[in-house]
Amino acid sequence: MTKQHQNWSPYDNNGGTCVAIAGADYCVVAADTRAVGCISPFTGAVRQKLGMLRVISHLGMFGGELSRADKSLMASSGFQADVRALQKVLAARHLIYQHQHNKQMSCPAMAQLLSNTLYYKRFFPYYAFNVLGGLDTEGKGCVFTYDAVGSYERVGYSSQGSGATLITPFLDNQLKSPSPLLLPAKDAVTPLSESEAIDLVKTCFASATERDIYTGDKLEIVVINADGIRREYMELRKD
Amino acid sequence: MKIDFSGLESTAPLCGANSEMFDGISTSPSFQIPDTTDFDDFQKEAIQMVKPAKGTTTLAFIFKEGVMVAADSRASMGGYISSQSVKKIIEINPYMLGTMAGGAADCQFWHRNLGIKCRLHELANKRRISVTGASKLLANILYSYRGMGLSVGTMIAGWDEKGPGLYYVDSEGGRLKGTKFSVGSGSPYAYGILDSGYRYDMTVEEAAELARRSIYHATFRDGASGGVASVYYVGPTGWKKLSGDDVGELHYMYNPVEPTVVEQEMSEA
Amino acid sequence: MESVFGLVGADFALVVADSSAVHSILVHKSNEDKIMVLDSHKLLGASGESGDRAQFTEYIQKNVALYQFRNGIPLTTAAAANFTRGELATALRKNPYSVNILMAGYDKGTGPSLYYIDYIASLHKVEKGAFGYGSYFSLAMMDRHYRKDMTVEEAVELVDKCIIEIRSRLVVAPPNFVIKIVDKDGAREYAWRESIKDTSVPTA
Repeated sequence: MTKQHQNWSPYDNNGGTCVAIAGADYCVVAADTRAVGCISPFTGAVRQKLGMLRVISHLGMFGGELSRADKSLMASSGFQADVRALQKVLAARHLIYQHQHNKQMSCPAMAQLLSNTLYYKRFFPYYAFNVLGGLDTEGKGCVFTYDAVGSYERVGYSSQGSGATLITPFLDNQLKSPSPLLLPAKDAVTPLSESEAIDLVKTCFASATERDIYTGDKLEIVVINADGIRREYMELRKD
Repeated sequence: MKIDFSGLESTAPLCGANSEMFDGISTSPSFQIPDTTDFDDFQKEAIQMVKPAKGTTTLAFIFKEGVMVAADSRASMGGYISSQSVKKIIEINPYMLGTMAGGAADCQFWHRNLGIKCRLHELANKRRISVTGASKLLANILYSYRGMGLSVGTMIAGWDEKGPGLYYVDSEGGRLKGTKFSVGSGSPYAYGILDSGYRYDMTVEEAAELARRSIYHATFRDGASGGVASVYYVGPTGWKKLSGDDVGELHYMYNPVEPTVVEQEMSEA
Repeated sequence: MESVFGLVGADFALVVADSSAVHSILVHKSNEDKIMVLDSHKLLGASGESGDRAQFTEYIQKNVALYQFRNGIPLTTAAAANFTRGELATALRKNPYSVNILMAGYDKGTGPSLYYIDYIASLHKVEKGAFGYGSYFSLAMMDRHYRKDMTVEEAVELVDKCIIEIRSRLVVAPPNFVIKIVDKDGAREYAWRESIKDTSVPTA
């Protein structure tokens, strides 16, 4: 067995916030690009900005550019090493799937795959908090939200990561989509138009950056709809 | 330590599973265990980081017409409500339901796994699995992982050749056959309503109302329970969702607001 | 809290167990049968963690049955008790079961016998034995009133005294008990002592 330092831990938290909103025929996925790490691994007290990262994976080929065929987007926060490892595993599994079936994996299928991938590390979890967004088989926007060990549910919108406790109540207030468990069922689709949803996401992050030290620098937004997929950026506070 | 992975085996292996190129990516699934001298300590710390959803009220009972199953929908991490829309009643197949208490991922994953096993049993034996059999499959899997930190408290409810069936199964390997169970932090409150209102010869409507009211009262007193009270009924033709009500609205339905009589009015002198 | 006790009479042995399935402050079930009929002439009363109890007693039952299939003769009570002890002792150094066991049996020639096996795999042949919080009361009662030549009626009367004492003196007393007997005619359920009725499922 390996010798281990008393206070050594295989985990760190680099922070970060992600948000996803599903609309009738679009899906917006957004995340900030800040990463924070500790200088001294043994005290964990002093924390420093590490730099900027690209955090939203479109689960296409490694490092490939956005493609019209992409159906799922995944934004993650938590421990960057785990996040990158997880996104790479998922992208690789997706590539194998494409070779075997000659098509892209649907977003609900990708959601189940992500859940299983996380659960298979149940006893040594990926320290990653994820949201998965995309278009389902009917072309409707869908968002799946996860915990670190793979429990997931389909929702109308979601926020994960260090700023989630600030953003989720705000989204609840603005969108208040009825619970999917209600019977008789009420339509849970966000009433917002695509541009309104993007504006809302920008507002969320601008506010979260004011109060959460782990959120900031730059906001990456990826929008997916019937016409294709596009990425845009917005500057956030740098302090 | 030897762990039983047989619960994960699939009869349909991935094609190309043995190719070295995909080693570690598409090989048959197994759990990665940390290479550490103190697994228990590691688990304790790791679990704190990914704290599972705690705080739940779920219940199920057998009555004349079948089984009634009900649950709330809240997931909380400490004081923060992380979700108000958790599906705590898991549909295993058209004749069987499972409930979720404890770790959300543990329940979700192993119920899905149980669903696969039940379907395979159906294909191999040309008949549906009994509730007794299904609950034992789950109990044996959970028991093989005992001491590794799984957290599951579930009820398996269904209808099989012998009629209605109800079992309580937990991650310590416990498995109880019974007619009336409630699991979770709100269960003492739910038991109170359930025990006093229960009769074997209830109608479906009466039973559904008792189940819904039990969940409502549990969500009212237990801070960790709340959201939507879902009620399912399992009868000879399979399960059916009977109701899903926001408990916030149920409160005013059960306690209508009456205009208060002003006894004394303050007036400025 | 859990109470399992038993005694050997003139030509029979008897085991009594509470029937509560408890989780922290909750009683999930009050008619859980904790005495397994091991084979035609053996009883296995067990207390301990619910999962361990069910898994271990079932494992013993199946292996005793397997022995009988293979060899055409059943294990004697002494042999079954020693086998159970051995399995418990082996498991103790790997993944211990927390179960305490009272095994009662009737063999042609030797007559009735009772074995006491605790979770750390010690085995004793006893005339009377008890486990759990109820043992503080039932042991003393049995010490005072027990005789080697008791009839079934006398023994059940003593058992009822023990149950009444447990119900009236133990803070967290279980409401219901089951009594099982083994004699030359075999192992069987003798009676239930219930102060709270759990609704039972009428079989369709």
